[in-house]
Amino acid sequence: MSALAKTESVAARLAVEGLSSGYSAATVIRDVSFSIARGEILVILGKNGMGKSTLLKTIMGFLRATSGSIRLDGQEIANQPPHLNARRSLAYTPQEYAIFQDLTVEENLRLGVARDGLLDERMGDVEAAFPVIARRFRQRAGTLSGGEQKMLLLSRSLVARPKLMLVDEISEGLQPSMVTKMAEVLRRTKDKDGVAILLVEQNLPFALSVADRYAILKIGEIVEQGDVDQADALATLEQHLRI
Amino acid sequence: MATLFLDILTTASMLFIVAAGLMIILGVMKLINFAHGAFLTVGGYAVHVVTDAGYNAWLTIPAAAAVGFLLGVVVERLVVRPLYSRPLDAILATWGLGIVIAQVIVFIFGREVQFAASPISGTAELLATTYSAWRLILVGAAVILGVLLTALLYLTRFGLNARAVIMNEDLARGLGIDSVRVRAMTFGLGAALACAAGALITPLLSVDPNMGLPWLVNSFMLVLVSGVAIPGLALASLLLGGAQVLVSTFVSPIIGGITIVVLAAVILRIKPQGLSRG
Amino acid sequence: MADITSEASERSSRQVWRTAIGAAVALAIILTAPFYLDTYMTNVLIRALFLGVLALTVDLVWGYAGILTFGQSAFFGIGAYACALVFTHWGFGPGWAIAALLIGVLVAALTAWLVGLLSFYHGASPLYSSIMTLALPIVLVQIIFAGGRFTGSSSGLSGFPTYYWSIDTWFIIAGVLLVLVASVAWLFVRSDYGRILVAIRENEDRCAYLGIPVSRIKTGLFVACGAVGAIAGFGYAAFTNVVAPELGGFLLGTESLIWVALGGRGTLIGPILGAIGIDVTSSYLSGSLPFLWKFIVGVAFVVVIIVLPNGFASLATSGWRRYRMRGVEAGDVRHGPGITLVSTSGRRADAVDPTVAPIRIDGLTCRYGSLTVLDGITVEGRAGQLLSIVGPNGAGKTTLMRCISNGTERTGGQVAVAGHEIGRNSPQKIVGLGVGRSFQNTSLFDSLTVGDCLRLARFRIDGARSFVRSGTVALPEPALEILKATGLDQQLGLESRYLSHGMKRGLELAMVLATEPRVLLLDEPTAGLTKPERTAIGHVLTRLVAEYGLCVFLIEHDLDFVREISDRIVVLHQGKLLLDGTVDEVVSSDLVKAVYAGQDLEAAS
Repeated sequence: MSALAKTESVAARLAVEGLSSGYSAATVIRDVSFSIARGEILVILGKNGMGKSTLLKTIMGFLRATSGSIRLDGQEIANQPPHLNARRSLAYTPQEYAIFQDLTVEENLRLGVARDGLLDERMGDVEAAFPVIARRFRQRAGTLSGGEQKMLLLSRSLVARPKLMLVDEISEGLQPSMVTKMAEVLRRTKDKDGVAILLVEQNLPFALSVADRYAILKIGEIVEQGDVDQADALATLEQHLRI
Repeated sequence: MATLFLDILTTASMLFIVAAGLMIILGVMKLINFAHGAFLTVGGYAVHVVTDAGYNAWLTIPAAAAVGFLLGVVVERLVVRPLYSRPLDAILATWGLGIVIAQVIVFIFGREVQFAASPISGTAELLATTYSAWRLILVGAAVILGVLLTALLYLTRFGLNARAVIMNEDLARGLGIDSVRVRAMTFGLGAALACAAGALITPLLSVDPNMGLPWLVNSFMLVLVSGVAIPGLALASLLLGGAQVLVSTFVSPIIGGITIVVLAAVILRIKPQGLSRG
Repeated sequence: MADITSEASERSSRQVWRTAIGAAVALAIILTAPFYLDTYMTNVLIRALFLGVLALTVDLVWGYAGILTFGQSAFFGIGAYACALVFTHWGFGPGWAIAALLIGVLVAALTAWLVGLLSFYHGASPLYSSIMTLALPIVLVQIIFAGGRFTGSSSGLSGFPTYYWSIDTWFIIAGVLLVLVASVAWLFVRSDYGRILVAIRENEDRCAYLGIPVSRIKTGLFVACGAVGAIAGFGYAAFTNVVAPELGGFLLGTESLIWVALGGRGTLIGPILGAIGIDVTSSYLSGSLPFLWKFIVGVAFVVVIIVLPNGFASLATSGWRRYRMRGVEAGDVRHGPGITLVSTSGRRADAVDPTVAPIRIDGLTCRYGSLTVLDGITVEGRAGQLLSIVGPNGAGKTTLMRCISNGTERTGGQVAVAGHEIGRNSPQKIVGLGVGRSFQNTSLFDSLTVGDCLRLARFRIDGARSFVRSGTVALPEPALEILKATGLDQQLGLESRYLSHGMKRGLELAMVLATEPRVLLLDEPTAGLTKPERTAIGHVLTRLVAEYGLCVFLIEHDLDFVREISDRIVVLHQGKLLLDGTVDEVVSSDLVKAVYAGQDLEAAS
């Protein structure tokens, strides 16, 4: 596990090593190590309660890392306040309460960029990926359907033109056609802009369709890592994730 | 009849102006600033200082606002920020601060009551009655204030950031908004508004070290009833201020003094989130 | 058994003796003080002693129960005005004096009860309760103003007939009152009830879910403190021979908070000394440096709140603590007074009707605005059965538990516990019906010991002693087993803030079992536990169900865990009940696999 991480760490966009964190007395993730290169999508798989969201929150700075390091392009970012990480081009899409329901679509998007002017330049990205969002500019975000809200979420991350995207279960509750679209957008983004994407998922088919590599998180520890293309990948994944 | 109508309108305006600063602090920082009364007093004394030095009376309002902003930023850093996780203690600390500020004022200016000249004095003719001109100016000031605040909140980037922090501070931080700085600026703005309000109302009252106190509790109640929204505050000011005027005129001025407090307590018991649509 | 009870009663009588001795010493000081104090000082001290009683009531309400109250002064004022009004307008004499005192106490108690009803309901925010205590003195003062000649309006009343005893006599009266109230309060806060107040202050919600009538206790305390405050006010007025609206006003109310904050909230002695100290110093300095003194107090107040939240008394108590621990090695953690565990057979054992389901949920619906979180859930729990509730995020699992344990949460449908409808009851009443719930987070009561927490959980069944600390806690077998399994039975004196996460989970489970529930609702009990801890808790749960016939509803994400210990599994998806069956049925179901794979329902079937 760690060997893979170490050889990549120099060139890696994100290098996580020996990371542990949790809430007050409880340690939720233990000694987690992995890395993601530029233009690569790594998916963290695992059932609920295994620590996936905790991992993303720790990388973003919402939770204190009790040990280990997090390096973005070689620079240590562990335990930095979230707003600084956001300004360093980390785009985080949380699983819950991820958009401002009472703000308009436009206002939600504006909050994704540092200066209002940048939004006008980058709207093209949104129009290409999710034309329906561009059409609903002035609508209150809370009135969008569930799927449209997820599109808004991803659009907000796109206009931020981040170096690293942290995406928490974006496929949840979406129709199959929508899920395919999401995968398409993610792959296009990483190919075009060299964005590294850390995806957290429970949806196996979606994960396989979009990711380059996978890691399985079980009770806070990484138990398996590998390439999605590998022959035995599917079997390994199914074995770990069966109900 | 016309006098009554104007009384209600001008009282509501005064209440709105005084409570606005308290409301934005409550909205963004989820904190009741008990030093609000002291800031009002500071604003009143700023008027006294400026006019005594011979400057134009109209300068008193921006001067008061500037002093208030600086004072607010300092107070937020020293007193409010350490108590972020203890909101009830923050209420107490700001109350203590209010006492300290009042005593400092007494040191500098003494206990006597001062009178401040208003930029416009005398009366004006309106709706077939003669009415205090300054009170009518206040109605205009309230409207301008409401418009400016709404513009700030809805047309500027700072306003967008502030609204984001009000709705979901963690999400805002995750998007790059420095919520600590937003809160500091908001407290400064709230203090500036409080001082400006003090400057605006001094021509109608006298200036003494405790002038802000009666306004504190009333504005406190109004803000809670307003549901932390500008239209809500305007509505609350009209309804409760109007009730106060009516009770004072037709029942007794003394009972009128507690109308706002009693009505607010009742409204909050029935509808804890106040008069806003939320 | 005899040994345990005799040891317990020995400890409580030791407590009473110690308090009595302390009181006697204080009384001795009171009785001899007039001999060496000058007249001015005595005069000032008498007033300060009465105010000390007021400070005491504020400490009980705020320092111990956590209710930020600006309005205790209102009760002080009511007592004072009762004295002045009766003596001025009706008559004077021993009979009149007693009548006036009673009137003052009754009016204060009634007012406190009304305010309590309005402000301390379940779900009231602490800010709202504080506002109500803020409004109280303001309204009172205006009423006094409105009274015109009758109440003396803003100038107050003075020169009314009163007992013109010597200063020394008044000093003894005030001193005795303070010592008496302080002794009773001291015993009270050291008793079981005192621990309950601390628990309410630290985690009110959790108390409700243990069946503790929080609103009633808060209101009761408020009424008692109001009555005592009125007595102090009465004495103050009778001595000073002057009443003014300020005695019941907002400023005195906030001053009392300052005394308590500076002296040390939650210590009783601190606030008394704070009140006396500040009041006496103010009197002496009011001539020479009035504003500087107020300035100093104000600054000290702000600094103390920020830097030393437990007041100056905390400096003394931490010094005392260091002195006591001087022989003990470093790393040895604080242990409170020990208690003993006693087994009880539990009262439910006989009353169980095997034909009635422990819990039956019928068409349960929960809507938030336009969002439907739960849609027509119907499921029945059986005794001696562990039912796991699983489903993807957002399926409504925690909402389901919330709707079962809190009657006001659901929008529609019925929930019946052992045949009794829960209706719109608050959590505390539903605990009474036999529902025990554990939570995802482990927020317990930091400053209470393990033993205290367990005794707290037994409140509904065993009650609590008002003036002594029980030495024993009677627990049913299941709870005792958990304590033994986790080793908590050796740590009864440890403050729960020092427990590891796994032990906190164990304590929480023991506390819930202590309430002798018929139905146990567990929300992700294994979250954050290590593998061995999970196995241990799995064994415990299996035993609870098999040995003690409990009905357990479990929310879990660890599906291996669920597979091992469940008798039945219920799958929720998007608010609807997808499947209710045995472990094998659910595991082999294609529908369930599809749901977990995140595919849409229609596409899968």
